[in-house]
Amino acid sequence: MNISLNWLSTHLDLTGKSIKEINDLLTFAGVEVEGIETKGIASEKIVVAQIMESVQHPNADKLSVTQVDCGEGQLRQIVCGAKNYKVGDKVPCCLPGAELPAGFTIGETKMRGVESKGMLAAAEEIGLPKGEDGLLILPADFPIGKPVKELFESDVLLELEVTPNRPDLLSHRGMARELGTLLKQGSVGVPPASSLPTTPASSIRIDAPDACPLYTAIRITGVTVKESPNWLQQRLESIGLRPINNIVDVTNFVLHELGQPLHAFDAAKLTGGIVVRKANDGETFLALDESEHTLTAGDLLISDESSAALALAGVMGGLHSGVTETTTDILLESAYFTPQGIRRTSRRTSLTSDSSYRFERGVDPQGILTASALAVELILETAGGTAEGAVQVAGEAPVLTQPVALDAKKLDQLMGGSVSLSDAGKILTRLGLEKLADGTWKVPSFRADLQRHIDLVEEIARVHGLAKVPSRLHGSFVPSSAVDHAYDADMILRRRLAALGLYECQTIKLIADNQLIDSLPLRPMQDGDVIRVKLPLSEDHAVMRPSIVPGLVASAARNVRQQQKSLRFFEMGRVFRNSGGGKAKDQESETLAILLSGPVAPAAWNQSERPAELYDLKGLVNALVPNQTIRFAPRERDGFALASDIKAGDINLGVFARLLPTRERALDFTAPVYVAELDLTKLRKLLAGIDHAEDLPQFPGSSRDAAMEVAATLPNAEIENVLLKLAEPLLVSFECFDVFTDPTGEKLPADRKSVAYRFHYRATDRTLKAEDVDAAHAKVLETLRSKAGVKFR
Amino acid sequence: MKEQIPAIQSQALAQIASVADERSLDEVRVAVLGKKGTLTQAAAGMKDVPKEEKAEVGQLLNAARTAITAALEEKQAALQAAADRAALAGIDVTLPARPPATGSLHPLIQIRDEAISILRRMGFALADGPEIEDEFHCFDALNTPADHPARNEKDTFYFDSGKLLRTHTSSVQIRTMESQPPPVRIIAPGSAYRRDEIDATHLSVFNQLEGLYVATDVSLPDLKGTLEYFFHELFGPETEVRFRPHFFPFTEPSFEIDVKLHVKGQAPRWIEVTGCGMVDPAVFDAVNASRKDKAYDPETTTGFAFGMGLDRLAMIRWGIKDIRLLIENDVRFLRQFA
Repeated sequence: MNISLNWLSTHLDLTGKSIKEINDLLTFAGVEVEGIETKGIASEKIVVAQIMESVQHPNADKLSVTQVDCGEGQLRQIVCGAKNYKVGDKVPCCLPGAELPAGFTIGETKMRGVESKGMLAAAEEIGLPKGEDGLLILPADFPIGKPVKELFESDVLLELEVTPNRPDLLSHRGMARELGTLLKQGSVGVPPASSLPTTPASSIRIDAPDACPLYTAIRITGVTVKESPNWLQQRLESIGLRPINNIVDVTNFVLHELGQPLHAFDAAKLTGGIVVRKANDGETFLALDESEHTLTAGDLLISDESSAALALAGVMGGLHSGVTETTTDILLESAYFTPQGIRRTSRRTSLTSDSSYRFERGVDPQGILTASALAVELILETAGGTAEGAVQVAGEAPVLTQPVALDAKKLDQLMGGSVSLSDAGKILTRLGLEKLADGTWKVPSFRADLQRHIDLVEEIARVHGLAKVPSRLHGSFVPSSAVDHAYDADMILRRRLAALGLYECQTIKLIADNQLIDSLPLRPMQDGDVIRVKLPLSEDHAVMRPSIVPGLVASAARNVRQQQKSLRFFEMGRVFRNSGGGKAKDQESETLAILLSGPVAPAAWNQSERPAELYDLKGLVNALVPNQTIRFAPRERDGFALASDIKAGDINLGVFARLLPTRERALDFTAPVYVAELDLTKLRKLLAGIDHAEDLPQFPGSSRDAAMEVAATLPNAEIENVLLKLAEPLLVSFECFDVFTDPTGEKLPADRKSVAYRFHYRATDRTLKAEDVDAAHAKVLETLRSKAGVKFR
Repeated sequence: MKEQIPAIQSQALAQIASVADERSLDEVRVAVLGKKGTLTQAAAGMKDVPKEEKAEVGQLLNAARTAITAALEEKQAALQAAADRAALAGIDVTLPARPPATGSLHPLIQIRDEAISILRRMGFALADGPEIEDEFHCFDALNTPADHPARNEKDTFYFDSGKLLRTHTSSVQIRTMESQPPPVRIIAPGSAYRRDEIDATHLSVFNQLEGLYVATDVSLPDLKGTLEYFFHELFGPETEVRFRPHFFPFTEPSFEIDVKLHVKGQAPRWIEVTGCGMVDPAVFDAVNASRKDKAYDPETTTGFAFGMGLDRLAMIRWGIKDIRLLIENDVRFLRQFA
């Protein structure tokens, strides 16, 4: 909402208050100051000058050469193009260095060969409202040499954000009342009572009293619709409104003066009296902004006895019922429409206006007649005509406030004893509340937001200010929660991943349908498992992510487009899905996703680039839970290559895969893209670590190597499985240290491979003799030969 | 024999002096002191030395062995020292490093962890709740009128089921109070969703940190003290903090908190960081109704709540001008936070 400081000053003495003070005052009243715009002349170097001489420019027909007195002790020569002055006139002179609103600075120059030391200015050139063509002729009594800015009223436009609970602040009077309270100037007071007599309405019928409990109208005949007088135009322009004609301008002025929206109908367009009724389902309404709306039975219409829709009540007038230049008789509406109805209609039709903005927040039910009285007075003043003897009133003003008790003990508790009951009472009194004999507080009609004890406390806290409330540091101790433990585990995982050279990502949880092909949820999706928002902002954000991988793939692809090669990312967070084809709805779980592609470490003079391979990702997963052995168990997934379950012992920890090479190419990746998605709930449990530390071995062990020749297609896991099941007490560990193939078939048939393992043997109670080791090793090899079908080389 | 030993000795010493590497030195050692070495063989001839000369020859042998051994050791040390010198010569410590892969936590997570650490130090426990919420927990129980603008389909994401994406983490307040009696002292970091077009200052999915303390005798001084402490810890003890009255449906009185931001080359300015207030008694009423008890009796229970935008805190902390940098995950951006 826009507030003009000059306009505000008609209600309140703001003398000596700086903009900063007013800004602070509003800010601490709970009104956000979103913008401050100073209007008027800014530069000190625009001064009053008297034209002492003016002669024709020797080289230009349209220019004159003037000598002006700027109070500098000598005359200043200035070339001028205007013709509307005479010698002896006082005009604004922009001296060299003056900055003008248009954005340039005046200098000394030559115009058509004649020196010009400044500029004589028109009103709009120096930031004043546009006046007559040519120079701004100043009053003769303006002192020569004085900065013009000191002689003209400037204004300040405040752009304010009023919270929805304070509709009473949506006018200059309302804002002045609030500032008056804060400045302790006392209440500006209840607006003067309406001086217009009222009469029960004979030509108003309210068919929907729930939506319109009070409707008033007064007829004014014989008006002349024309431009508003200057003062009125300026008032409206000062808050950014465009003047239209005197009648409309008066209603707009009253709205911004008192906060009560009014509407003027052209009486000639009405058939019979006013009917306030609900719209018929499907009824159409042509608004004055020429938009057409199909209404529903919930919308409130101002209609007449012909049933024509004259106005969408409280929201917008109709195109054909408004005041035009030919209007001579008007009907001036001032009414109370209930907020809920206005809000619904405004939202449904997407029609908003200064009027709907106020009605939907709630206007002062006691301000209806005051507003029409002021409007009538101003219309008669600016448009002439004759008003009916009395305002027609239908219905009754709703009573929205009732006395509220202030609980002294609770006040004291909440405020930490920082405000005394008598100070609290003073604050309430300044706010226009009145203490009743029974100790409760009577609330003024414009403060319907004050309904409960706590609402009064809020007012006291607001006006008292939190600055005066002491600070206290204490609180109950509470036990840590499961969320705490999960958080701690997640931070450990995050730090490990970062230390392992991965960058953490944050991607948007709403993804595009076409990203779903990259999703790698722990359990494959079924039809109905995807959760879609009803009205997505765009196709790119239409689906709740069932997996983090699509986001990581998109981030990695973006990095590729920025010529980044080493892509090592992870993200942790929630994923969303239904399951069982939509039987179990809106399931949220937490996962960790990892993506590796391109060089594992930057290339350097002593290090060549090595692209990440799947074993890097496997190693990373294992490094997260070093006490576990991570295994990849192949299991096909649509749309992915090399897909495997990630297992830690019997636990299915997550899924690993490489993007299909076609997908990689489509996204412009030049290296394989490996991804994994892990169940965070399970991963956290594995972080718990060991229960008991083992003693160090007391006796040395020894190792034996063995190279096995097997079918090239035999998974290593089959060898491992045999070894894991082997009951050889002396075998403490083993590792694969070489895999050799020869596609040429020279050293090894092309369909065979050589896999070399190292086996470690140790006893807990003695140093092993060579023959013990040999015997154990022989048993291991024999088992491998019989169970895994390996040949030893 | 008496002549032979000094000859062996002088020959050996000469050989030792002339060798240039450890391998040759070892050959000399073997040639002189080895099993078949010249001195070893000479010593083996002791048995043929006449008895009266044995002592003298013995002395000669010992002297030769001592001298040769000493020379070998000395030479060995000299050769090793030379090798060490050679091994270190020419190494240029000013050449660039062999770079390991580096990584980082996302800035949002870093600032979130910092905030969480401060609040946990103050005894807050973590809590959470679903992001796909119902209207009761997101709006009704938080005293938000049925026709409040925030409930509009233009501002909030809904699902066909009638559920919605929570517009704030405040729904966790309700979830927590439903599941446990007071005292409640929790913080809830998490995502919230609003139908805002994504631009330099808005994301449709953003991150908040909610806080709630409910007990008996929780007062405005507690709210003020807690949040002042929090921002002094987060932005430094000199940071100016101010509370502006504001309006939220679920707190009363309500405030917005500004901190004064000092950026080099700019005039200091107040920036909004948090909304907060005392829990509105209507919220307790709603919680009691849902719990079907009076655990949160508004006559005796008081509390404060606060909520802050973590994305905004990250932008303030690091001077990030475009919020989209926080979701684009450009390595060149993330690398700065390593």
